Amino acid sequence: MKRLLIFLSSLAGATLHAAQPQPQISFNRDVRPILSENCFACHGFDPKHRQADLRLDTFAGATEDHDGIRGIVPGDLTQSAAWQRIISTDPDEVMPPPKSHKPPLSPAQRTILKTWIEQGAKYERHWSFEPPKPSPGSSIDSFIQDRLAQEKLSPSPAASPATLIRRVSLDLTGLPPTPEEVAAFLADPSDQAYSKLVDRLLQSPHYGERWGRWWLDQARYADSNGYSIDAPRQIWKFRDWVIDALNADMPFDQFTIEQLAGDLLPNASESQKIATGFHRNTQINQEGGIDKEQFRIDSVFDRVATTGTVWLGLSIGCAQCHDHKFDPIEQKEYYQLFAFFNNQDEPTLKIFDQNLDVRELTREFKQLETQIKTFIQDHTSELDAWEAGLTPAIKKSLSSFLTKILALPKNKRSFAQNQSLFAASVGGVGTFRELNDRYKEIDTLLNQGVTTLVMKELPKPRKTTVFIKGDFTRPADEVTPGTPGVLHPFKSTPLQPNRLDLAKWIVSPENPLTARVIVNRIWQQYFGRGLVETENDFGMQGTTPSHPELLDWLATELLAKKWSLKDIHRLIVTSNTYRQSSSNRPDLREKDPGNYLLARQSRLRLDAEVVRDVALSASGLLAPQIGGPPVYPPIPDGVMGQGQVKRTWTVSKGADRYRRGLYTFIYRASPPPTLTVFDALEGFTTCTRRIRSNTPLQALTLMNDSGFFEFATALEKIIQSESLDAAFRRCTSRPPHPDELAILQKLDPLTAARTLLNLDETVTRE
Amino acid sequence: MTSMHPLQHQTRRHFFSRCSVGLGSIALSSLMAAPAPKMRNPLEPKKTHFPAKAKNVIFLFMAGGPSQLDLFEHKPQLTKLNGKPIPESYTAGKRFAFMDSSHRSDLLASRRSFKQYGQSGAWVSDLLPHTTSIVDDISIVTTCKTDLFNHAPAKLYMNTGSGLFGRPSMGSWVTYGLGSECEDLPGFVVLQSGPRGPRGGSVLWGSGVLPTTYQGVPLRNQGDPIVNLSTPSQITPTQQRQVVDSVRELNLKHLVETGDDEIATRINAYEMAYRMQTSAPELMDTSDESQATLDLYGIKDPKETSFARNCLLARRLVERGVRFVQLYDTNWDHHGGPTENLEKHLPPKCLDIDQASAALVKDLKQRGLLDDTIVIWGGEFGRTPMGEVRESTGRNHHIDAFTMWFAGGGFKRGTVYGQTDEFGFGPVENPVHVHDIHATLLHQLGLDHERLSVRSQGLDFRLTGVDPAHVVKGILA
Repeated sequence: MKRLLIFLSSLAGATLHAAQPQPQISFNRDVRPILSENCFACHGFDPKHRQADLRLDTFAGATEDHDGIRGIVPGDLTQSAAWQRIISTDPDEVMPPPKSHKPPLSPAQRTILKTWIEQGAKYERHWSFEPPKPSPGSSIDSFIQDRLAQEKLSPSPAASPATLIRRVSLDLTGLPPTPEEVAAFLADPSDQAYSKLVDRLLQSPHYGERWGRWWLDQARYADSNGYSIDAPRQIWKFRDWVIDALNADMPFDQFTIEQLAGDLLPNASESQKIATGFHRNTQINQEGGIDKEQFRIDSVFDRVATTGTVWLGLSIGCAQCHDHKFDPIEQKEYYQLFAFFNNQDEPTLKIFDQNLDVRELTREFKQLETQIKTFIQDHTSELDAWEAGLTPAIKKSLSSFLTKILALPKNKRSFAQNQSLFAASVGGVGTFRELNDRYKEIDTLLNQGVTTLVMKELPKPRKTTVFIKGDFTRPADEVTPGTPGVLHPFKSTPLQPNRLDLAKWIVSPENPLTARVIVNRIWQQYFGRGLVETENDFGMQGTTPSHPELLDWLATELLAKKWSLKDIHRLIVTSNTYRQSSSNRPDLREKDPGNYLLARQSRLRLDAEVVRDVALSASGLLAPQIGGPPVYPPIPDGVMGQGQVKRTWTVSKGADRYRRGLYTFIYRASPPPTLTVFDALEGFTTCTRRIRSNTPLQALTLMNDSGFFEFATALEKIIQSESLDAAFRRCTSRPPHPDELAILQKLDPLTAARTLLNLDETVTRE
Repeated sequence: MTSMHPLQHQTRRHFFSRCSVGLGSIALSSLMAAPAPKMRNPLEPKKTHFPAKAKNVIFLFMAGGPSQLDLFEHKPQLTKLNGKPIPESYTAGKRFAFMDSSHRSDLLASRRSFKQYGQSGAWVSDLLPHTTSIVDDISIVTTCKTDLFNHAPAKLYMNTGSGLFGRPSMGSWVTYGLGSECEDLPGFVVLQSGPRGPRGGSVLWGSGVLPTTYQGVPLRNQGDPIVNLSTPSQITPTQQRQVVDSVRELNLKHLVETGDDEIATRINAYEMAYRMQTSAPELMDTSDESQATLDLYGIKDPKETSFARNCLLARRLVERGVRFVQLYDTNWDHHGGPTENLEKHLPPKCLDIDQASAALVKDLKQRGLLDDTIVIWGGEFGRTPMGEVRESTGRNHHIDAFTMWFAGGGFKRGTVYGQTDEFGFGPVENPVHVHDIHATLLHQLGLDHERLSVRSQGLDFRLTGVDPAHVVKGILA
């Protein structure tokens, strides 16, 4: 209902002027939401659930003749059976029927449908399947202000410079500005200075951390296998890849291709292989007694659904069991997408120190092995002589490892065993020693380093079939890879298209969805809500955009700027719309309580990781290094015993104790409570929009958690060594008002420090 | 900075002038040092879809899958054909856990002795002597059915109606739908006993696509009952109160400046957090319970974690208005391994829970709480009529028919519902799917399972999923 409010209000406004002609109804804007919400479940795309053989989602269906009765007769309300059923007062007749638990259509909804039928019942293709319409020469502010002017609303004044620098620093880097940065900006808050500030923040390596976490939510990243066993896994190289790629402003099309199909690129680099970890963030079930194929298929289901949600903004997963009820995606098409993801091997990639020439070392290693073999062969007699001369007393003094080798018949000893024996006896000096030492050195070099999970294509594709009701034990017709027919055509020459072809199809300029979906998801981070509120559903059941032209303009800008995300960030944060005050106003409280029209900014509670980062920064403890293995800051006692398998949590020492929240190790089955209490994710499924809850457990965390208490004691020292005023500024980036200072001055320094870290303002982006 | 922005001035005047608006009156009264009244509490009690029969739920979850054939299902034919292979007609096309291993699948007689009890004549084995004393208070359903046969997915299924991670659990749905009547404890509380946490872990009480406000809060028996509940040891009670008070004062000032309702919610959250710091330890401190009560539950040491103590805590929780209490007792997975067989390990498990489960029903009844409270007993699935011989005897996971019981909250007193075949393999009448259990539970709480939904990722999520689910009228009074 909420989504309709704005459009209804504009229509209602128009009808006040009775002398004017009826406003032109737009099918997509005005009619489709009503039909989709109330009618399509039984009269839509899915033939299996269609009632009375009537479909209302197409003109042909709505106007089809059923023995003289037609759902809709353009221009003729009395002959339109659907309309007559909608206005019926007979409970057996009225649509939607009472048993659907949908209330009868409201007078405003009826007015829209009535006018639409009278105007000829014109259908339009769903807006998001049409290419974005360009609006040359526009700007964010012109779209927003035009719309506000229509509603006779004025935008809010700019936020104060202190609020603005804190806002834009938190939004672009997830860290508050330092007191010095605030002072410098307050001294010169000009547009030019702001523009320079934005450039500096976009160049900051912390930008990649902040927006990396945004992407990792969508990638369902975590550091364990999930399900009940939930063993730890190594895939943090993927996390670092995301941070690096965003910092380098890798164009989003390439960013997409490398993650979906980096392994299939010609001469794929190590980095491109690491990127394919995106789809290895699925869970792995290690429980006993399971059917492995079932869980492999579950992970493929997840990859299809995630790809659909993240890049297309479509709930493709709905078609896993049946034709999509609302969007034109057939079950068969779902399995055609499934086929792209059904051919993977799921290997682990070993990553070496960048300074190592692995190829050369491997060559040398093999060569050494041959040399050592030959050397031993050439000197067998020496070894035999040594062995023959072993007295029981000497034998006793040998290690059990060697004794075991000696107990074996000579022809049963392996290369490694012979090598050890030789080294321990006659090979302790000279050439053998040199060869052997180098061999061992290389062995160590090649065996150290980290691993990460990646994708690899099987040489021979698996057969893919439709699964009846999504049940993998009920295979039906075989399918080949393909994309949904409702979207732009899939142009692929190979007989067996693969993930690379899919990735290229997704970032094709003909794709009406991806650019819109991504700019919308960026917009959402800045305003708390996307221009399309259902950021993960651009289909028929999703909401229509609040500012369709702006959305299209941003999407075309993204393409014009060669998929540069940083350019889109710059466009948004330098707009006046972004820079407005977030304070509510009496007139807005009346007219636009949900702030859909953006006559002000919104106050947003910081993301879980940033709550930690701000407290660390304020207390001066933050260890700012970027990337590397996950860390283990202190967590409350007993947390790790919650899962099926109790996992150890050895608290990190030194700087790693104070790293940013995004580096904390995440066990899916027992995630760190100080983060999850603020709605951080466990990484079970893709998440394109976090919930922002506001609970007593958050209060307990900020007041009592040992980590936050430690931050408070550090802030206490700042109060003592500098001043209360300085501590306040570190938390809020602004000086305290005298009455605020008066409250804090009554407290002892530790209580004042704890108060500051608990302020709503401290954990909020104003 | 100290001079007020014109907008701010206007905003402030607005809030003071419009006291009929909830927020304005709150801000005003609070600034005048009155305690902050309730505002926009997401757990505020909500209207039901229709009049409710029950208000609270206690779910006694036997994690691992208790063997219904050794507890409730008396099957003479199974005894007669002990050791014989099960007729293929039963197993054709079925999938079982551990399919890849070659455990024997011959029928296994129960070694327990069964008798009929109460008006209903319900069969109960000698492993549950105390349960026999409440058979006329409970509805026993022998034909419960689920879809998934591995522990973690099946537990998720029983709790969330789906085997996938990330769906809201029953307790979250109920607190989302009804709110909570308790102002100083969470609305959905989880208690645990047994050697380890349940398979699946915290997602079993997760809120999925619902806000985290509705997720289950585990009350722990060691350390803080709630994570981060205790004031840091270096801090005095006065200092803690000072933090809460000064945070409220400063937040109120900011509320007036910004007009953001979220600040009002946060002020409330701090008040509730502060109250929880007192009320949760009070709840856990059972020293005010009489010896007779402790004896009723069979609590030997009230300080020690046990299922019995958790049952007592469950009663104390619903007494305080907590909406949904879930108890997990782990280690009911009797496959026949060296530490999990039916002969040696099922009896002590039953000893752990039998007396306390029965005591909970009796105690709620004598205190007049049973009419408002639904008590559920059961696991994620049951066990096969076929034996599984590993080192000793056990049974495999079984999803086609297993037993649960329901008491209070408008459920029938003293009935056995559903009929299984001669081996207890599958239902021959009145099957009750997990989604039917969910629909029935919600129905008793005044919620229509088809209307209790939330939109996410293009779908209307419901506890009962997409296939039709039915309220099981046959077990309702």
